Amino acid sequence: MLKSVLATALVAAAMLSSNAANSAENTTVGPHGEKPAPAKEFVLSADEEAKIKAGNFTAALVWHETSEYTSAVDRGAKEEFQRLGINVVAQTDAGFDAARQQADVETVLAKKPSVIVSLPVDPATASTVYDPARSSGVKLVFVDNSPAGYEHGKDYAAIVSDDLFQMGEKAAQAMGAALGGKGKVGYIFHDADFYVTNQRDQAFKTVIARDYPGITIAAEAGLADPARAEDVAQGLLTQAPDLDGIYVTWAEPALSVLSALRTAGNTHTKIVTLDLNEPAALDMGKSGNVAALIADEAHMIGVTAARAGAAALLGKDAPPFLVVDSIAVTKATLGEGWKQSLGRDAPADLLKVAQ
Amino acid sequence: MAEPALKPANTQADSSPVLSLRGIQKNFGGVTAIENFSLDLHAGEIVALVGDNGAGKSTLVKIISGVHPPSEGVMELSGEAVRFADASVARERGIEVVYQDLALADQQPVYMNMFLGREPVRGPLRVLDRRGMIEATEKLVRELDVRIPSVRATIRNLSGGQRQGVAIARATHWATKLILLDEPTAALGVAETAKVEELVASLRARNIAVLIISHSLDQVFRLSDRICVLRRGRQIGVRRTNDTDKNEIIGMITGLIESEPA
Amino acid sequence: MAMNTSTMGNLTRRFDLQQWVVYLGFLAIFLFFAITLGDSGFLTVRNLSNIVLQTAPATVMAVGLVFVLSAGEIDLSFGSTVAVAALAAAVVMQSWPMPLGILAGLGAGLLIGLINGALVAYLRLPSFLVTLATMGLFAGIARSMTNLRSVPVQNDLFTGIFGSGALLSIPSLVLWTAGVILIGHLVYRQTRFGAHVIATGDNPRAALVSGIKVARIRLTVLAISGLMAGLAGLLYAGRLQAARYTLGETDLMTVIAAVIVGGTALNGGKGSIIGALVGSLLMGMLNNGLILMGLSVSDQMIVRGLIILGAVAVSLREPNR
Repeated sequence: MLKSVLATALVAAAMLSSNAANSAENTTVGPHGEKPAPAKEFVLSADEEAKIKAGNFTAALVWHETSEYTSAVDRGAKEEFQRLGINVVAQTDAGFDAARQQADVETVLAKKPSVIVSLPVDPATASTVYDPARSSGVKLVFVDNSPAGYEHGKDYAAIVSDDLFQMGEKAAQAMGAALGGKGKVGYIFHDADFYVTNQRDQAFKTVIARDYPGITIAAEAGLADPARAEDVAQGLLTQAPDLDGIYVTWAEPALSVLSALRTAGNTHTKIVTLDLNEPAALDMGKSGNVAALIADEAHMIGVTAARAGAAALLGKDAPPFLVVDSIAVTKATLGEGWKQSLGRDAPADLLKVAQ
Repeated sequence: MAEPALKPANTQADSSPVLSLRGIQKNFGGVTAIENFSLDLHAGEIVALVGDNGAGKSTLVKIISGVHPPSEGVMELSGEAVRFADASVARERGIEVVYQDLALADQQPVYMNMFLGREPVRGPLRVLDRRGMIEATEKLVRELDVRIPSVRATIRNLSGGQRQGVAIARATHWATKLILLDEPTAALGVAETAKVEELVASLRARNIAVLIISHSLDQVFRLSDRICVLRRGRQIGVRRTNDTDKNEIIGMITGLIESEPA
Repeated sequence: MAMNTSTMGNLTRRFDLQQWVVYLGFLAIFLFFAITLGDSGFLTVRNLSNIVLQTAPATVMAVGLVFVLSAGEIDLSFGSTVAVAALAAAVVMQSWPMPLGILAGLGAGLLIGLINGALVAYLRLPSFLVTLATMGLFAGIARSMTNLRSVPVQNDLFTGIFGSGALLSIPSLVLWTAGVILIGHLVYRQTRFGAHVIATGDNPRAALVSGIKVARIRLTVLAISGLMAGLAGLLYAGRLQAARYTLGETDLMTVIAAVIVGGTALNGGKGSIIGALVGSLLMGMLNNGLILMGLSVSDQMIVRGLIILGAVAVSLREPNR
């Protein structure tokens, strides 16, 4: 999922200022300052669904790359399209290449799809990429970002994305639960100008300060280079050896923190981090240091995008910026949480240890 | 002791030599590879250069073909002292080499190999004159009786003897003074060797000098007019082929017969 | 020196199959898609012209690569050269007139080619290693040039000339492709330089002793490849109306496959510009058709890989001796 984060971040840099202003209000905002609308509240009536099913519509999925994140979104979109009787006629992967995505859009147009769901490789310049689709009247739904200059309602149906603030908030709540509401916490944040991680990290800090008076952030360390996560973790533990919990900005570096704890023979300090990751989940399943993994509902992003596209075919407006929930996955909720986030069952060995 | 055979045996004995080597010496660092070598080569004669491995035959070929400059001595081409800056200068002056590995481009047709590096062009756009190359190659191949399926045939599809034929034909086409042949039949069977020897013998009539390196004394006696023996960089002697025999040549190669005074 | 004529005949026929494999393969795949995807828009003029326009930059790169491979060298860096050239052109055009932008793009490509070429020709470093290194080097430079930011190209004349424009209703990308193919083919087949490139790749020693300036040939082919990558960068920038650090990055393997399938030998001495054009169109058609078949992304990759493998296997098979 970090890859989606990376792609989003490129564009996000441009809108940092507006987001920084808004993060103070404790909400996630869309790329153009849109207010978030909960994805789960956007539903179609039985009557609308029947009309869509009768419409013989088709859809194409134009992805920016192939990853676990995209495939979860992809699965969600396909399932929802299928449920609505919309045939997915083509799907593409641009390998992070904007020029290839441009070719992909042109190519899928030969199939005359009614809807295109896409994650733009490079939103800043994506209008050239999507113009042929827009001008031929295809309903566009975007994941995470929309092309610069495009207007909601006129040029595209909706943007569907994560609720970044909520992810940080849930991480804080999971930490609060793991520590019983009091203790000393270490805070490893992403030390880079990186919209997605910055919002999540900031939300964690805000919520701890606001809702958990018994918890103090006793040590902080910035992570600039993920490859050096273990050194950063060692430094943090040396500085404050009696930490009860550590927040890590995302799962890959959390593994390095975990290995530092194991090396020190520390079974006490709890880790809370973001994104599903198998080794981290395995440690959690074995009741190790990892207490919770906060995951977005990537699958639900796909479902919502498909639904918004279908609604647009009926002329029904979707809110401009739909955000999906995130889930705190703990040992107890490993199976269902995994399924809810990625839309497929957790690996069998993982489920076994979590029993 | 036989009379030194520095002069050719045939009718052109009175003509001035095509190539004249006087006191050629070649040192590599402190090692002397060729020592005081002198030889005249005349148009229309075939001279064989023999000697054991390491005797300096290849070094001598490289000196004559301009790859290595001599450390000492004089080279005269048609009476004019020359010093070749590199192989291409020697080639421009009419000296061609047929290398042991033939130096053919395997995936190209015969006619392109015939003109490798010297392709004719025509018109203001300097377009390759393929037709001209093909015609010239066909003519040459017919004259020399090199039997190949077509001048458009790819070299890799030819037999070893056919390739050797192409390499010799190329040298013949460009040489105006001298052809150096380095072990031309080393890799060939009996029948193909005979055919190549026929081809080499026919070069006499083209009024150029031929210097051939060969390990096969039978071949040397079949082909050459004179035989020059090298041992460990020293010129042991030159004999008219008709005036000597294998025993003497073997003796000179192995050192049983010492060199005559210079 | 009697020739075994029946063997000769066999060899000739096999050789012909190799020469024709790209055209036969193109025809076979075209017919397959035409029949199975006839009602899915494959045969529409719009879709077929899309294939040609989409492959234009790859075809231009392929022409450069034919020269490089024919000379017995390889260029792995042309993909990242595309991005550097496109960014150079776009950045220059933000503050200076368009011709300077074009010059900057082509100049950047040529310069990179000359750097590769000088290292290969005069330091005698293997081109595989040199261009493997410069591939990473210039990918890094492309990333740092604008800090990963995309640079929009708003000059309509530029995007017309290199992207979406047309002359006498022929799209400019088609004109560029045709021009590069025509000139490339003539230089490759009809000039001494072309003959010397091929001879150098076929047998460098033979070329050297025949007086061909082998080092200069090596320098020149890599410079041509850089220049072609520069032009491809301009075409991408014109079409996308923006330059970005990822441009060209995914083309490396496609272009190599197109050139090999088109009958150019990986180890030099043999090649075809027309074959590379058809190979490039074949790759574009394959991408297009597999998407239109509605295959999942992973299935598209598998099928494409298998078809390329088959085509390369046929075109690279050594004729039996």
